[in-house]
Amino acid sequence: MNERIEKTDEELIAEFQAGDDNGFVELVDRYKDRLVNFVYRFLHDMTDAEDLVQETFLKVYKNKHAYREIAKFSTWIYTIAGNLARSELRKRKRRKTYTMSELSFEDNEFTPVDPDKNTEAIVFNTYAGEEIHKAINNLGEPFKTIIILRDIQELSYEEISTILDIPMGTVKSRVNRARLKLQETLSYLKE
Amino acid sequence: MQNNECIHICDQFTDYQDNTLSSELRAVVDNHLSLCSACSDIFRELSHVLKNLHNLPPVKAKSDFTSTLMAKIDDINQESLWQKIYSSSYTRAAGYAIAAGLVVALGLNMWIDPIMPISPKGTQNYAIEQKAQIPGPESLAEGVDSTLRFEEDSLRGQDQTISADNQPLQLVNGTK
Repeated sequence: MNERIEKTDEELIAEFQAGDDNGFVELVDRYKDRLVNFVYRFLHDMTDAEDLVQETFLKVYKNKHAYREIAKFSTWIYTIAGNLARSELRKRKRRKTYTMSELSFEDNEFTPVDPDKNTEAIVFNTYAGEEIHKAINNLGEPFKTIIILRDIQELSYEEISTILDIPMGTVKSRVNRARLKLQETLSYLKE
Repeated sequence: MQNNECIHICDQFTDYQDNTLSSELRAVVDNHLSLCSACSDIFRELSHVLKNLHNLPPVKAKSDFTSTLMAKIDDINQESLWQKIYSSSYTRAAGYAIAAGLVVALGLNMWIDPIMPISPKGTQNYAIEQKAQIPGPESLAEGVDSTLRFEEDSLRGQDQTISADNQPLQLVNGTK
């Protein structure tokens, strides 16, 4: 098992492509939380986020031979998950059952509570989190995806450039603009 | 933002925060921030927003995420196994051969072997035929009588057992 942890994502997907399902299971364990966190920022619904990430892994499983080691595995899987998330958002817009800003945080049952923080801080953080979510959702594409990838998922500019298939300079300028937009929206949030 | 210089400085904020600016450009930004309160306010708020973004509580997958996923994959594998079996040309050929064999066997069975008729009509014919072939108790008794009578007649002489038109005598119901 320790030997497996040391393996790179690319080695694991290669093992999986060669017929070893353990490589796939290891990749699931590595990426499930990151991807759920990523997709959740788009959909703002925990159940939908988990379903969509499951769908992402199913796509990886079924299309394992579609991966070529010209890109990092992380880039590939983030691209799949991001495409599915945006597709789901488009469907939601068409259905118009609700808007993103109307979504509640009630389903976020995984938010850890730091016992060292006082109640006021917790309330503020919850409020701030909600406001940040709204602000991000109001950014619109492509700024929304860029800010999630960069400032929440903390991916490199290079990875974002590959995932979104845009030049790195464009990524940087969009990150900057997105942050400034957020700053305009969230300037009232002062701890 | 008051002027073009402010716009230019704000464009550098991301690289400034990522520490990827050249030392010269970093010095220019620092100098501007110390002089321009508007840009300085923007930069402070921006830093605060970034801090909040980085501090967003992470959400995690449920503990049964992997087991649920693997169960779905098992279902897919089962489906694909059946699809492979169905789509195999050998399997299809074998299936057609078995089906054809069954049809032929059934047809031959109906045509040749009367022991297992399948139609109601056939069943009726069979019952009639069987009834005709199997002698009842009365017929058996008559058979015994006629045999005895035949032997008696034989003892009397062969000419008495031949009729006038040279036909063998038939013993039906004990009479000639």
